Amino acid sequence: MDIDLNMKILVIDDFSTMRKVIKNLLKQVGYSDISEAQDGTSALQILKSRNIDFIISDWNMPNMNGLELLKAVRGDSEISSIPFLMVTAEALKDNIVLAVKEGVSNYIVKPFTAEVLNEKIEGIIAKQ
Amino acid sequence: MKYEKLSSLIDGVASDFLFLDEKTIDLPTAGKLINQVEAIISEATAQETEQLRRMAYCLNILLEKVIMDDIDQEVGCSALEKGITTMQEIVNSFSNTGSYKGNIEDFVGHIAGLTGTATEKEEIQDGESVTGEDPSEETVREEEKFEISDESLLRDFIAEGLEYMGEIEVNVLNLEQSPEDKDYINAVFRPFHSIKGVASFLNLSDISKLAHDLENLLDRARSDDLPVTSALIDVILSGSDILKEMIGSLKEVLDGVRTQPATPDISVLKNQINAIDQQGDSAGKVEKLGAILVGDGVITEDTLEDALKTAKEPPSKKLGETLVDEGKATSGQVSQALRKQAHQVVDASTIRVDVRKLGDMVDMVGELVITQAMIRQSPVIQTSVDKKLIEDMSQLSGIISELQKISTGLRMVPIKQTFQRMSRLIRDLSKSTGKKIVAEMAGEDTEIDRNMTEEIYNPLVHMVRNSVDHGIETPEERIRIGKPERGVVRLSACHRGGKIVIEISDDGRGLNKEIILKKAVDKGLVEGSEDLSEHEIYKLLFLPGFSTAEKITDISGRGVGMDVVKQAVEKLRGKIDVSSVEGKGSIFTARFPLTMAIIDGMIVRVGCEKYIIPTISVRQLMRPLREAYNNVAGRGEMLNVMGESMPLVRLHKIFQTDSEHENPWDAVVVVVEAGKRSKCILVDEVMGKEEVVIKSLGERMKNIKGISGSAILGSGSVGLILDPDSLFELSEM
Repeated sequence: MDIDLNMKILVIDDFSTMRKVIKNLLKQVGYSDISEAQDGTSALQILKSRNIDFIISDWNMPNMNGLELLKAVRGDSEISSIPFLMVTAEALKDNIVLAVKEGVSNYIVKPFTAEVLNEKIEGIIAKQ
Repeated sequence: MKYEKLSSLIDGVASDFLFLDEKTIDLPTAGKLINQVEAIISEATAQETEQLRRMAYCLNILLEKVIMDDIDQEVGCSALEKGITTMQEIVNSFSNTGSYKGNIEDFVGHIAGLTGTATEKEEIQDGESVTGEDPSEETVREEEKFEISDESLLRDFIAEGLEYMGEIEVNVLNLEQSPEDKDYINAVFRPFHSIKGVASFLNLSDISKLAHDLENLLDRARSDDLPVTSALIDVILSGSDILKEMIGSLKEVLDGVRTQPATPDISVLKNQINAIDQQGDSAGKVEKLGAILVGDGVITEDTLEDALKTAKEPPSKKLGETLVDEGKATSGQVSQALRKQAHQVVDASTIRVDVRKLGDMVDMVGELVITQAMIRQSPVIQTSVDKKLIEDMSQLSGIISELQKISTGLRMVPIKQTFQRMSRLIRDLSKSTGKKIVAEMAGEDTEIDRNMTEEIYNPLVHMVRNSVDHGIETPEERIRIGKPERGVVRLSACHRGGKIVIEISDDGRGLNKEIILKKAVDKGLVEGSEDLSEHEIYKLLFLPGFSTAEKITDISGRGVGMDVVKQAVEKLRGKIDVSSVEGKGSIFTARFPLTMAIIDGMIVRVGCEKYIIPTISVRQLMRPLREAYNNVAGRGEMLNVMGESMPLVRLHKIFQTDSEHENPWDAVVVVVEAGKRSKCILVDEVMGKEEVVIKSLGERMKNIKGISGSAILGSGSVGLILDPDSLFELSEM
């Protein structure tokens, strides 16, 4: 399956420097249409108002964490099928199983390289 | 159709599974499957089909392993297939015959072998802490020379990182006040977590590692694996300081000020972190769940043994679950036992006590003291010749005295926390004034009454601000006069002569006698002609209306004068002093009573009544000469003391009690000071000086003028403690 480099990606993390890091890595892979959100609420707004093809979200955020955002996305029929890649700091079993049960597409552990990120994204797209 | 639901659930899983293209399971599918399997477990439990429940449980574990990539996909898939097929067999058999005669143990054993026995967290095992990968064990990327890969990214990290770090302190203070509050723990956890995340991307391994260690402690704290003790708070604060330093030094590298980022020595910190980490692990005193249940009589030893055996068999369950399933204990009993177990996991060297309970206990001990005194005064006791009784009373007295000491001791806390707040303040002031100042501490383990810690904070802050503003010179000036560039403000505390002595010293300019004197003269506070000793000149600082601050700096707030400090100190029945060497520095010394509950007082007798005058208010004692007495029309009785004319106060008149002597020259006069006024208090006798325990008079009598409380004297009798201020008012009415 061809990867569409024009894919619209939304990156969510409360730490703006982290968003930049991920954005840079995505650019390295070749993606260019990258939006950012600093929390779940604004992410949901963006998701409902624009066409987003791929979500990359951090797990640990105040107010609404990645898991809660995932639930909200999967629970909203308009946006429920958008691929969701969860960024986590440790491969904690409990968390990951929880996310998988809520329908996460895959997870990726910090820190990662552009290659690993690409693999994960391609893997998800391929299964669609 | 009892098993219809189960049947359709199992069919659902089967069909989803069959639809898989290859023999691999991706995460979303695994998620879907695991949800379905959970539903099967529920329904199987409800329908009491034990075998199906166990099968589904096995598949649950299997799927978890697949998700975590702990098991080979092909192997996992084929095991899943077998499991699902078997489940279909079982449910069909139940639908047709109401039972299943087949054997599932082989399959269960196979799964156990594939997945290993699951250990659950509920039964607290020794040294088990849930953490993810430990970055310090990852392959260490050797950085020979620190290279800046992406400057703008680094700058962003520094700016935002420092912002996050700034939030930590506030939240840590909040956490200190409410150690149980998970929100605060999370608020402190998050910055470390975020910084670790980005730092790992930017190859900042030192920062990443330290942040990880600190984050780890907090993570354990929020899962109740580690109690929030003051040791933990200290480590978090120290760690965050060091982290700030490290991040800040990155900025210096970018700005070209240095070539390598700072690598501060964190060995001490690491030791502290390890110590805390291990303290949390030593669950030595924690009973196992089974033992608690047996101890509570919920189950017998035999039942426990059997249950433990059953629980260990795959799919292994928690002991509690097994007991409930077998009907040997209710879930209520199990959760109660678990709660009991959780309470045992405390920091063995300290315990948390509700402050109210502590207060109640201290009050009760006070009552005990009074009651004992009353018994001792009973004529029966006093005239008794019963040797044993006298001995016993004496022993009782000793015990109660000791008990009182201990209970007052319970309220003592180390002054460390207050000092730490000070040193933070000094650091902040140092930055905002542009002066280089370092804070030193000594005797921070010295204990003070916990009620006092809040009260002394403000006077100490004032003194510190004075040192920073007026004491320490600018770095340039210091270098010019040959001092080290960094000024030192030193906080020290110790117990001396039954008091706590707190000193704030600096190596700054010191006090200039001429300026002080001139200022005082200008303000009309002293006569220019007076010949004052050095000490007396320094004391001028404390007069109201004095203030050497030329302008009201925003640091000092309202251009705080030392008179405010003196008032605050005296409110706590303390005394303040200053000494200085011009050009070298100053020392402010504040002396406080060890606890607010004890007062140093002069015991005086008026007739049969005893009163206590706070020693701090006593200027002098004297027996006046007849000539010194004056009754001035319109002004009342006056006494001439050392050339000063002061009003005479007759306690017996004010308190309407008898007095032995009428004439001042037959009696004793205590010259008492309150604020700026001094008056002569007429008493029959001065009995001595004593440290007495204050007993408040209770709510209804709080506002009685002239009295601030009562005390039990060593003799056992009760005395009222005089309050000079309101007493003076009374005498003028």
